[in-house]
Amino acid sequence: MTSVHADLLNGLAEGDAERILALGSRTALSAGQVLFDLGDAADSLFVVESGRVALTLPLRLPDGQRDVLVEERSPGQALGWSALVPPHRFTLKAAAAIDTEVLALPRVALFGHFAANPEVGYVVTRNVSAVVGQRLQVLQTMWLREMQRVVEIRGIRARSLA
Amino acid sequence: MEMFLMAAIMSLLAVAVCAVLFAAATRDEREAPRPAVPAVREPQRFFVSVPAARAEAARDGMDPELVPVEALLLRIEQHIRLEQAAAESFLNRPTDESLHSRTTSRLVN
Repeated sequence: MTSVHADLLNGLAEGDAERILALGSRTALSAGQVLFDLGDAADSLFVVESGRVALTLPLRLPDGQRDVLVEERSPGQALGWSALVPPHRFTLKAAAAIDTEVLALPRVALFGHFAANPEVGYVVTRNVSAVVGQRLQVLQTMWLREMQRVVEIRGIRARSLA
Repeated sequence: MEMFLMAAIMSLLAVAVCAVLFAAATRDEREAPRPAVPAVREPQRFFVSVPAARAEAARDGMDPELVPVEALLLRIEQHIRLEQAAAESFLNRPTDESLHSRTTSRLVN
């Protein structure tokens, strides 16, 4: 898969997609190499060109902190939405699951291009909002299911005050 | 005759006293505290002592299960995948049943 077919660029003419891709720079990661860490400044959005990127969150265990896999990103998928959302800090850790190549799209260059080409910016932000919105709905559902389980496991019994 | 009866009664009394003493002696033996049996040692587990884990679990009303950390991480990751799939299924067809569908995740079962 080439980046022209990235989720981020759905609905764009090939020329418009290539102009966006030209804003970025490719980075090769060996298996296990960290792309960004939780809390790092988020200045670039990434598109996976080849390989696979693991997104993890730290879990505290008695023997120390361990990374728990939350999601994986494969070719054509974007990661690092925090680059587009203030305060521009990554909220997950990303590392290459296998040898991987990503395209880094700097926020400043991206926003500058969108300002000069609003119709392109509209399509890309629509793609971004679709993906982010879908992820939000999934996480909201997962959260509610966990809350339901907490209530069941703890055997909480509510009673009416009336 | 009287001497014979006296000897017989004395013999019976002696036998009775011996029987009582024997019964008392054997009862003491049965009721004597048994030598302390060494407590069965709990197998060494990961990270936490079993009594502490049991006490905590008892407080929470749950039975503790001690698993290696790597196995726990695998269970968590499998749980996340299953929950993501369940959430996506709910979003494709939002119903009360699909929202609260049971999971097969070993993390919570």
